[in-house]
Amino acid sequence: MGTIRIRFILVALIVGFFAIGMSAFLNFFKYKSTYGTIVRERVLVVGRGIENAVQASLNVGLQFSELGTLQQLMVREMRADKLIVGMDIFDPAGQVIYSTDPERVKREVSNGWMQAAQRSKTTEWNVEEGGDVVAGISLKNNFDLTVGFLAMRYSKSYLDVAAQGVGREIFIAALAAFAVLFVVTPLALVFVIRRFERDLQVLETAVSHLEDGSVPPPATGSAFDGAIASLRESLGGIKGELDDVRRKLDAAR
Amino acid sequence: MLDKNYLWRIYWQLAGVIMASVVLALGVVSYFSHHVFDRELVPETEKKAITVGASLRALVLKATDYGTDFTQLYGVEQSFDEVFSENPEFASIAITDTAGKVLYARGKEPEAIRQHFAKPDVLSVLATPDVPRDAVRIGTQYVVSLPIVSPAKALGVLHIGIDSAFVDKVLLEVLLDVVVVLVVSLFFTLELLNFMAGARLASGLGEFTKQVERMRGGDFTPSGRMRVNDEIGRLLRWIDAAIDHINVRYEALAGELRNRIAESNPDARDKLKPAAKAMEAIRVSKKFGTGEVAPKTEETDLNRIRAPLFAFILAEELTRSYLPGYVNQLLVPIPGISPQVVIGLPIMLFMLIVALGQPYLGGWSERVGRRSAMLTGAVVATIGFIGTALAYNLYDLLLWRSLCALGYGMVFVASQGYVLDRTDTGNRAQGFALFIGAIMVATVCGPSIGGILADNIGFRPSFGVSAAMAFLSIVAIVRLPKEELRGPSMAPTRAPKLSEFISLMTNSRFMTLTGLAAMPAKILLTGVCFYLVPLYIVSIGNTQAMAGRMLMVYAIMMVLVVPFAATLSDASLKRERYVALGLIISGLGGFLMLFSESFLVLFAVVFLLGLGQALSIAAQSALVGEHCQEEIQKYGADAVYGVYRFLERLGNALGPLLASVLVVFWGYIGAFVALSGLAFFCGLAFAISMRFGPIHHQPPGATPEAPNL
Repeated sequence: MGTIRIRFILVALIVGFFAIGMSAFLNFFKYKSTYGTIVRERVLVVGRGIENAVQASLNVGLQFSELGTLQQLMVREMRADKLIVGMDIFDPAGQVIYSTDPERVKREVSNGWMQAAQRSKTTEWNVEEGGDVVAGISLKNNFDLTVGFLAMRYSKSYLDVAAQGVGREIFIAALAAFAVLFVVTPLALVFVIRRFERDLQVLETAVSHLEDGSVPPPATGSAFDGAIASLRESLGGIKGELDDVRRKLDAAR
Repeated sequence: MLDKNYLWRIYWQLAGVIMASVVLALGVVSYFSHHVFDRELVPETEKKAITVGASLRALVLKATDYGTDFTQLYGVEQSFDEVFSENPEFASIAITDTAGKVLYARGKEPEAIRQHFAKPDVLSVLATPDVPRDAVRIGTQYVVSLPIVSPAKALGVLHIGIDSAFVDKVLLEVLLDVVVVLVVSLFFTLELLNFMAGARLASGLGEFTKQVERMRGGDFTPSGRMRVNDEIGRLLRWIDAAIDHINVRYEALAGELRNRIAESNPDARDKLKPAAKAMEAIRVSKKFGTGEVAPKTEETDLNRIRAPLFAFILAEELTRSYLPGYVNQLLVPIPGISPQVVIGLPIMLFMLIVALGQPYLGGWSERVGRRSAMLTGAVVATIGFIGTALAYNLYDLLLWRSLCALGYGMVFVASQGYVLDRTDTGNRAQGFALFIGAIMVATVCGPSIGGILADNIGFRPSFGVSAAMAFLSIVAIVRLPKEELRGPSMAPTRAPKLSEFISLMTNSRFMTLTGLAAMPAKILLTGVCFYLVPLYIVSIGNTQAMAGRMLMVYAIMMVLVVPFAATLSDASLKRERYVALGLIISGLGGFLMLFSESFLVLFAVVFLLGLGQALSIAAQSALVGEHCQEEIQKYGADAVYGVYRFLERLGNALGPLLASVLVVFWGYIGAFVALSGLAFFCGLAFAISMRFGPIHHQPPGATPEAPNL
């Protein structure tokens, strides 16, 4: 197999590898983000129930720090969906006021949570930090002032297991596609470049016999016919002239 | 001799086959992905539907707890509408009574759904409300049924229909990116064909054609080039061998003739006269081994610049679509400066460093050597990209981006010098076509792929990818030949002097071309493409990938239109018209934003901007040579083009600054319109000055070759 053909095939394989790799990458990340969004929205549905309860309490004049039944409500809602591993409500300073995990009360939430909550342009926010995936809702009072934030922590491994499984399948599909490409493309390329290779073959054959005085090969309609004829003519011409000198030298003996 | 399109026909055929194979392979991946998405996402959406349903059910039960009749609830459909707006994958929601009769419904019901509601199987959920049921496929929807049971009695069933096509919609979004990948793959294919095979092939066949021409003209001097070991190299070696044999034979005959003449008596000399005459005729009409021998460079030396340049430019282009978004994330308040202006600062700083550095980096790269200069630049930029990826806040980001800019300037100028050193007037255009080709392909591929990466893996890892690309370019630069080919006779490049700056900037002819054409074009380009588009796209709820697609449209227009526009403007010698028309067209786009703010209109804006810039870009610099001949004679081409390029690049730096200030006062739409208006009116003013102004009545003389500064 010629080196040019090998290079063309290598190009096809590299491009195929890039395209299939990018496609698999896109599909995987699209799955991951879609799956993550569905799960987050599901968690947020639970959160909205708690948000409504908080707002209802604030509407009747209760203080945000005095919502006595809130923790029980949070625990109940958390138990309703096994996906949720914990819920916290923290104030704008980042201190946890209510939590399904009593040990977390009065602790500070991480800076990442605060930044995500404050940066969000809507009332919903989310953040992934360490082993936690958090979906949050900004809690507002009647005057549209943010009084605190609800954070629902849910299982990262739930997302990871799903992503790993699908990632594996997409990877296998990509490998299969690459295998198809690996087999089909070289065949198709060989088919397409056979004319070019034939032209080169004709040229190489013609050039390799430039000096042996063999009968010139008939024109094959190759792109190099003109060049071959010109080469033979040039070399034939100069050889003829040198032969003439040789004859004349010999004749002078 | 050999059809000049011969190789391109082969390339396109090969690219066609490769693309067909890639499409087939992507089809396979998409088919499997669809299958997996369907299998995995539908059950998860069912779970979500159950949670949403439980929330709706709680509302209904709360109302009935207050004593409202289950069949007379108020506002149920409105609640359904809210659910639809928050969950677009839900197609229908209905509540039936215990007999399956629909009481409340919204959305598009599939056929036969009402019969389904009344089936005993479905109604049996009322008897066992705690047992979860699987969704049932009815027509095009997966229907989830939840019992509504109060402590006293069963009330009815809530049904939520999930549109089975929602998975198709998810994959359709991926499809847009896959199309981008296909376009990028096509350009990669052509680039790789050229890099891995074509450059050598084209060079070899070109060498072969030249050799045939030389031999036809009687030139039998050896080429003296090193031959690569492939088909073309082999056949060139055959020809070299044939030429060598001819040379040996000629030398042998000439030597023999000389010896015999020297050794023979007058009679014998007379006999040798015919041979001597024939030999003399050959000597006069033909050229043998003593002719000019080409330097012993490898055939593909020039082409070897393409890979490192492509990789390096790609590293920077990858960041175009998401850099403003990243800056936005690292923003720190700077007293007295609007955040919008601060977002534009890193882009402006980058452009400014490139503009200020380029006149001086040319001379520096000559002194240290092109390869070393490129290597230094690529290392500096790689550090810059790594730093950018790890940036803590805006302040250190500015430092890292400055390093990227410095590296960019170094590599850009040194690569230009590399091409200049290895070309002469005969093949310089070809050399720069190669140089510009690498940049354009990187411009097409970079922003779109960068946007996709930023959307999926985030900003910081995407800068990591840029750093990896810049590092790859280092590897490719290391493989460049170490020998410098710059001859001692070549005049060193010099930066323009201050006096020349002042003289040219007060020259009305020069400033008409620069101030009314080159600078506004660049202000519009960087202001719109590098600043406004990435930020505006995201502000209207689109992604960085969409911004990348938009920028890709601009680059594709440049790739497709510039060669034609350059040929046409050169042939017609009416370059002023192309420049004016280009500016007016590129300026027109922004006015469309007054009618609609949709991204389709933005697409049209970028399309027109690309078309306009493509029409004018080649003609602009040619016009400098055409209309500023006096100035070129006075100050030299280096100085005139140096000032021209400097001011043009200053336009690059001003674009983001101006755009950001306009956003502060007039918002995005106002900024689009104002920048476009500037280009539009500069185009009109240029057209008027062309008719009546300082560049009117200039005879179109021979255009001196623009030095590449």
